[in-house]
Amino acid sequence: MTVALRVQQRGKRARRGFHLGRAARTSILALAGAYFLVPLLASARYALEGPHGSYTLAAVTALLHDSVLLQSLVTSLEIALGAAAITLALLTPTSVWVNLRVPGLRRSMEGLTLVPLVVPVVVVVLGIYGAFPSELVASPVLLAFEYVVLAMPYSYRAIDGGVQSLDLHTLVDAGRSLGGSWAQVFCRVLVPNLRSSLLGAAFITVAYSLGEFAMANLLSFTTFPTELYQIGTEQVSEATAVSVFALLLTFGVLLALSVLGKRSRRTSGVAGRPVEDPLAGVAADLAAEVEAVLGRADPGRPGIVHDGRSVP
Amino acid sequence: MQGAPPKAAPPPARETRGAAHGSAGTGHAPIARGQLARRGSIRRAAGLVPFLSYLAVFLLVPSISVVSSAFETVGGGFTWSNISAALEGAYLVSFEKSLELSAISAGVSAVLGTVVAVALASTTNATVRRMVTSASAVFANTGGLPLAFAFIASLGNFGIVTKLLAAMGWSPYDHGFSIYTLTGLVVVYCYFLVPLMVLVMLPAVEGLRQEWFEVASLLGARRRDVWRHVGVPVLSPAFLAALMVLFADAFAAYATAEALTNGAIPLVPIQIGTLIQGNVLAGQQNVGDALGLGMIVVVAVAALLYARLQRKVARWQR
Repeated sequence: MTVALRVQQRGKRARRGFHLGRAARTSILALAGAYFLVPLLASARYALEGPHGSYTLAAVTALLHDSVLLQSLVTSLEIALGAAAITLALLTPTSVWVNLRVPGLRRSMEGLTLVPLVVPVVVVVLGIYGAFPSELVASPVLLAFEYVVLAMPYSYRAIDGGVQSLDLHTLVDAGRSLGGSWAQVFCRVLVPNLRSSLLGAAFITVAYSLGEFAMANLLSFTTFPTELYQIGTEQVSEATAVSVFALLLTFGVLLALSVLGKRSRRTSGVAGRPVEDPLAGVAADLAAEVEAVLGRADPGRPGIVHDGRSVP
Repeated sequence: MQGAPPKAAPPPARETRGAAHGSAGTGHAPIARGQLARRGSIRRAAGLVPFLSYLAVFLLVPSISVVSSAFETVGGGFTWSNISAALEGAYLVSFEKSLELSAISAGVSAVLGTVVAVALASTTNATVRRMVTSASAVFANTGGLPLAFAFIASLGNFGIVTKLLAAMGWSPYDHGFSIYTLTGLVVVYCYFLVPLMVLVMLPAVEGLRQEWFEVASLLGARRRDVWRHVGVPVLSPAFLAALMVLFADAFAAYATAEALTNGAIPLVPIQIGTLIQGNVLAGQQNVGDALGLGMIVVVAVAALLYARLQRKVARWQR
């Protein structure tokens, strides 16, 4: 009863404040939705366009037999997986270290990882030509290294969010006092607990690398996007077909990832998740116990049992 | 210091034990602890070395190289000629075009994005809000090739929307519109700038307190007055800060413009791209670097303004 009353009051208050009326906000959101959906639908239609307004998959199947394009896709996948591997190997220990040892630098680190957004890609390419040895500039390996930097603003956030939601000290103390080495604690306690954020960071890096065009084009590498560009200069509908397909795939996986991420955070903390690694399990139990004894029920710093629930 | 409990740091712990053995008395303890703290801070910084050196090699070194070559002749001597060449003729035009494009598209997107953010903040339906926010995050990162193709397919010469409008009796291409021009690029850039604006502005819009509007209306103010005297002044630092983000994003964008116009519009990134791909006049090899330096300066100014404004924003978001 009281709840219903309060809700009603809030509803009334909402209308009196800065909030827009229903008609206004619905039409604004609908217009925005149309602007964002029309180009997608149009390119899908364009990709499937046959003679005299019919639909055909000819453009798509033609590209499936294009061996240069398939080869470029393989190259791009290799670069993307390499970039994701380097990202995880470099940024995970860094984020754990910052949160554990120098939490005062957390904000500076966030700022630092945003710097790649500020330096235009074109400028980085200029500098690569000027500063790097020509063997490195000729090798696609360079792209993997650079994509780590370019995707860092997104990937570091994904990893750091996960690390911050863990009760790092308790986990590490528990693991260490059970006799685990640093490497063991890192690989068998922290990494399993960070699984979903690491997966997210890896995926963001892969998605970025598969779609990156400017740097690959300016460094004259044949990757999937640059090859698509080449095709697009002559056969627009074919290229559109593939790019629509790639775009929808990326959208789908990104959306699935954000939905899945939210769901798994809600339902399964570490304690609720089946634990494959015995050390991680013991450490988690111990951490919960230590926490219960110390009575550290600080909502600002959630414990291990309900770790992921308050990810920003 | 509170971040490093002794239990979590085995090497210092061992040293503490050693120090305790060495000095039976208690008098030396503070000195030992001071030394430890200093050694500890070096060790704590050491964990960042791999990350920092990676960033230095793959981001800092190229950037420094651009800045230094901008002032070098091909032989390696110091010169201003690259800079002056970058600030005249076709290159000056490209700076004007780039600034014009990024200012217009950032301004348009900022206004539209704020309107969407206000509409979104008014929505009580949690599903709609979550969907729009997720979609914004996805769309803000679209760009480059797929975006260019999508707009060619819809608003290009033979695009589907173009045909539809023509069938309805108003062909945009008969009225001076073309997707391959600066105006067209503004329409395309809005596709990733508006969602970015929504993401950046939403916290600020949600920070507007209902109470302010209520108090003002109790005191007899009309909605319009509350917006003018409370809403707009409170939102404007956040708005301007976001505008800087959009401006820098639009200014640095290369892929979309290149893919859409094949380099027909001489924006600065496209000029640099042309220079990189080998179309260089003799004696102007380092002009590209001077253009790059120009881009760094423009983006850095935007970033500085952003940092300034962000401090004002923080005041209202408590």
